[in-house]
Amino acid sequence: MKPGVIKRNLKKELNSWWIISFIGAVVILLPILFIFSTLLQEPNENWFHIRQYLLGNYVINTILLVLLTGVFTAFLGVSLAWIVAAYDFPLRKFFRLGLLLPLSIPTFIAAYTYRTMLGYTGVIQSTLRNQYDYQINLDLFAISGIKGAVFIFTMFLFPYVYMITKAFLESQSTSYIENARLLGQKPITIFFKVVLPLARPAIVGGTVLVIFEVLGDYGVTSLLGIHTISTAIFQTWFGMYDVNSAMRLAAWLMVIIMGIFFLEKFLRQGRRYHMSNKSRPLVPVKLKGMKAIGAFMYCGIVFLISFLIPFIQLIAWAKMTFGKVWDLSFIALINQTVYLSAIATILILIFSVIVANVCRKQSAFSFALSKVMTSGYSIPGPIIAIGVLAIFISMDQWLAPLYKSMGLGEAPLILSLSLIMLVVGYFIRFMATGFNAIEVGYEKIGTKYTEASRMLGLGVTKTFFKVELPLLKGALISGFVLTFVEICKELPLALLLRPFNFETLATKTYQYANDEQIYEASIPSLLIIGLSILSLVIIQVLGRRGK
Amino acid sequence: MKFPKLFKPFLVSAALAIGLAGCSGSNENAKSDEKTAAPEKAESQEVNIYTARHYEADEAIYEKFTEETGIKVNVVKGEAEELIERLKREGESTQADLFVTVDGGVLAHAKQNDIFQPVTSETIDKNVPENLRDADNNWIGLATRARVIAYSKERVSPEELSTYEDLTNEKWKGRLLVRSSTSLYNQSLLASFIELNGEAEAEKWAQGMVNNFARQPDGGDRDQAKAIAAGTGDVAIMNTYYVGLLANSEDPEEVKVAENLGVFFPNQETTGTHVNISGIGLTKHSKNKENATKLIEYVTSVEAQEFLSANNYEYPVNPEAKKADLLESWGEFKMQELNFDTLGEHNKKAIEIFNKTGWK
Repeated sequence: MKPGVIKRNLKKELNSWWIISFIGAVVILLPILFIFSTLLQEPNENWFHIRQYLLGNYVINTILLVLLTGVFTAFLGVSLAWIVAAYDFPLRKFFRLGLLLPLSIPTFIAAYTYRTMLGYTGVIQSTLRNQYDYQINLDLFAISGIKGAVFIFTMFLFPYVYMITKAFLESQSTSYIENARLLGQKPITIFFKVVLPLARPAIVGGTVLVIFEVLGDYGVTSLLGIHTISTAIFQTWFGMYDVNSAMRLAAWLMVIIMGIFFLEKFLRQGRRYHMSNKSRPLVPVKLKGMKAIGAFMYCGIVFLISFLIPFIQLIAWAKMTFGKVWDLSFIALINQTVYLSAIATILILIFSVIVANVCRKQSAFSFALSKVMTSGYSIPGPIIAIGVLAIFISMDQWLAPLYKSMGLGEAPLILSLSLIMLVVGYFIRFMATGFNAIEVGYEKIGTKYTEASRMLGLGVTKTFFKVELPLLKGALISGFVLTFVEICKELPLALLLRPFNFETLATKTYQYANDEQIYEASIPSLLIIGLSILSLVIIQVLGRRGK
Repeated sequence: MKFPKLFKPFLVSAALAIGLAGCSGSNENAKSDEKTAAPEKAESQEVNIYTARHYEADEAIYEKFTEETGIKVNVVKGEAEELIERLKREGESTQADLFVTVDGGVLAHAKQNDIFQPVTSETIDKNVPENLRDADNNWIGLATRARVIAYSKERVSPEELSTYEDLTNEKWKGRLLVRSSTSLYNQSLLASFIELNGEAEAEKWAQGMVNNFARQPDGGDRDQAKAIAAGTGDVAIMNTYYVGLLANSEDPEEVKVAENLGVFFPNQETTGTHVNISGIGLTKHSKNKENATKLIEYVTSVEAQEFLSANNYEYPVNPEAKKADLLESWGEFKMQELNFDTLGEHNKKAIEIFNKTGWK
């Protein structure tokens, strides 16, 4: 290529959107490369022990967990999304939002709550024992082992699938579904022949989020005694004191995850999902009689199990320990949590929009970019933390002459003792949450509005603010809520990367739960739940007013 | 040209990033300004702690320390191994003066990683007996918990119990409860057996335990006590600390569980009962050495030790301090005697044995 051509191409492609995406990718890549660098080192004897005794078993458990949880969450999320989007029945409006609430309960709190509730001292067994002198064995329902973990993950993570699929169905599938209805197809046929194939990107997007969450989990699996790759990472580090082997395991975990990505890409085989018709809300069909009761019961039971029961239980425990645990410092905790989560969420959304915009142009670069941006979600928090810590401390060392000239003393730790480090940690870990939501939003819009706007002479940036941003509003709202709630709940990063004297609601919850004081943990847990609900409500109100 | 327009979003993000950096940066600046203005003063006012002990009793003791001395205590809480890693990476720049954690194995591991320096203080030497301090005074014991055998008062009489080793006896088949091997407490227990009885015996013990399990390891220490109450098993290996928490729970059902639980200190005729020790150490690159030493002196004082025992159900390390009533009611016992460094050395082997014997 002639230099002139390269220059022209560069000019065509290279704009500030591209540059910002690139910067974001570098921030995420540095710690990840640091983790991958362990693969280049000679493995030590611990690694051979891990391979011999652990890996096989752990990989099987991990696959089993991911598969079962993936199938169940997809089923629950999609079926609920379809019922709520396409039909009208008693309390539908309530369930539309209510079915998002399970996300507000951290999974490890859910696991503790259900275990204790169904356990020997729990309300069911103790009531039967004390009031009716009846000893019941609930082992069949005990939250333990893989079945317990799948139950907890399914009931408290399905809203990811539900939320993204519902948003898609409500606005994008209208004409297809109405045509099918007009042509006299039965609801079942419509669901399998029209809805499922159309909603595939949304369903996959949601399920992938769930799978990441499961892969990175330590709280639930360690409580229930299931050995997965993630628990192996912790055990290698915390038990065998071997950070390098732990990072090596994490690197392999990421390799597996990339494999999943490529598999999905391959299965899609380049099919594109642009909805070319005007987006128009789907009008729900009113259900009558048994059908209405059935839909109501289905949503009701799911809501009961995945939110109301554990919520009420937590309130009961909070009442029990209120006098002992509550003090005014919780107000400061709430402030800190909100402040930190909001900053990180806004940062993530800005980058999500920019990167998703760049990624619309199908190319090897944009594919790689989108994978890099979302890769943090699949790495267990503590491993990200070590990567970030290593990078920040070397940055501080690198900046030491500058600090010195500013009169801050010899080689102080400025960046790595500030909140910026934690915000960057969140950025890496939760980019995927914001990005996936925005990406689905862009897929919905397609490219024709943008193309029209560009043809009419507006630049990339102007087109974005005048044309795309209003269309993206729904995606931005769901992206914000998802990310905000995630960060409020996040634990391992907050635990390791926070500055002196900094606590969040999640670290406070952990302080109690880690010490098996689940009753005491109920108050900070409830505050996290309350905060999540509030953010949900505020955003919904804002969304409605905008319509 | 379009140039400026093109870069608008870039500028906006850059401005945001700078603003963000500015926010937290300005705090930092303010702090460091104080430091540079009056370095002597700042040194006598602060002490910074990295701690893996997340207890309210600890915080209350730090507050009392501040009240008495005017020295402000700053705390970062985290997991022990993460904090050790952080200290290692921060090296000479670290702001941390003290490192606090539960478990002798972890303390030994921290020592191996060269993050400590010896503490020299006659008060501390007087407060804490030699066997509850590191051989080189790299860390000082803070409190201990005994890993005992808890049993059902209804179905087991204490005469049937004798040693940890006896739990592998045929008579306990299907009656034994213990938590997962991912627990540090179990790892240190097995590491102590490797030191005292040798690797082969330790492996035999772990295998014998697994053979007698009433169920696969499930839940934490409290859950083992509840499983005894529910009749799933009859004996469990448990930490005295959790018995204390159960007995003082806000939930009357949990209190009942504790009431039906007997506590037995094993190996009294032989090697002694295993204890978990919490410890505090001065970091190698501490900037407030004097304050840090004062804090260690305070936390090992009779007053702080009695408060800790009464509120956190741990055994005091200061022999002058009174134990919590519940602990007092269990009487005196003989502790395992070993160099805590060996726990750190054997921890890896312990995990290998757990994996080999299938102790989940």
